Amino acid sequence: MLNKVFGGGTEQRVIDNIKKHMRILLSASECFKKGVENWDKEQMYCVADLEREGDGIRREIISTIYEGAFLPFLRTNICRYVEIVDEAFDALKDAALEFKHLGPKLDDDITEDFIRISDINNQMCDMLIIAFETLFNKGDLREKTLAIRIYEKKIDDIKFDLIGKLRGKDVKDFWEGRILSDFMSYLTHISDVIEDASDYLHIINLSMR
Amino acid sequence: MKVDEIMTKKLEILGADASIYDAIERMIDKRIRSLLVKPGDAKDVYGVITVRDIVYKVMARNLDLNKTKVSEIVSKPLICIDKGIDVEHAVSLMAKFNITRLFISEGKEIIGIVSLLDVMSAELIKKAREGRSA
Repeated sequence: MLNKVFGGGTEQRVIDNIKKHMRILLSASECFKKGVENWDKEQMYCVADLEREGDGIRREIISTIYEGAFLPFLRTNICRYVEIVDEAFDALKDAALEFKHLGPKLDDDITEDFIRISDINNQMCDMLIIAFETLFNKGDLREKTLAIRIYEKKIDDIKFDLIGKLRGKDVKDFWEGRILSDFMSYLTHISDVIEDASDYLHIINLSMR
Repeated sequence: MKVDEIMTKKLEILGADASIYDAIERMIDKRIRSLLVKPGDAKDVYGVITVRDIVYKVMARNLDLNKTKVSEIVSKPLICIDKGIDVEHAVSLMAKFNITRLFISEGKEIIGIVSLLDVMSAELIKKAREGRSA
């Protein structure tokens, strides 16, 4: 729908870049997941690299919009959407940074929960791309955003359990506890941000009617 | 899609001698609607107690929550299916036995639980992923 109404060159460039931006987020999320699965701290460097690449694309999107792409009433919403996706990048990067400072290995049940959350985050990134594509292919945006909300609820349930497990865990000093707590906060924040982004897709969709 | 792809691994187990009040506390603390109940003795088998059992069999009859034991209302035996069973088959079993959850086993071990909500969520996600553009 978006490209039919605003099918100009600059608009198309923005749309292509937004898709690229989200695909990079998906790659970063996959990379993060592999890092947690293999407990490989070196793997996490790719997240920061991809976040930088994503930053460049975000700047290009915003510049193109301010050059005049899209009608003025749509610009704010599109910019906000891109900023929210960028917040997901930031949370992922922060989680990757904290992961590098975690100990050599955690309890199996805690690690398993971290892997499950990383996997669901990854599926949410993929679903966000699918949801964005529905703006162009007449798909049902509502069912995609519902799927995102289901994923988010799953992460909420795991988080609730995980907090209980972490409270019962012995830590050797303040920093070990702080790093573990921050890692969990960033990791579980990603899904909240993706849910916000999917809500914003609704706003964009409505604003085009 | 197989049931182990959508099952919840969070299983809470309670002793058969525990009170209904203990069971309620556990369900509220863990935000779950059913608990596995340990066998009472070597010849016994695992059972399940649900929110529905507590409301219908205890609260509706005005029984004392502290004095009534889990063993008095537990449902046995568990209806279990293998982790490799298709979700469609699991749903037909749920419909046949008029139950809302099935336990998932691997050999003799219970490894998870699948509820109607899990099935519904999985179906909605599957539908949302269908027909995505290339």
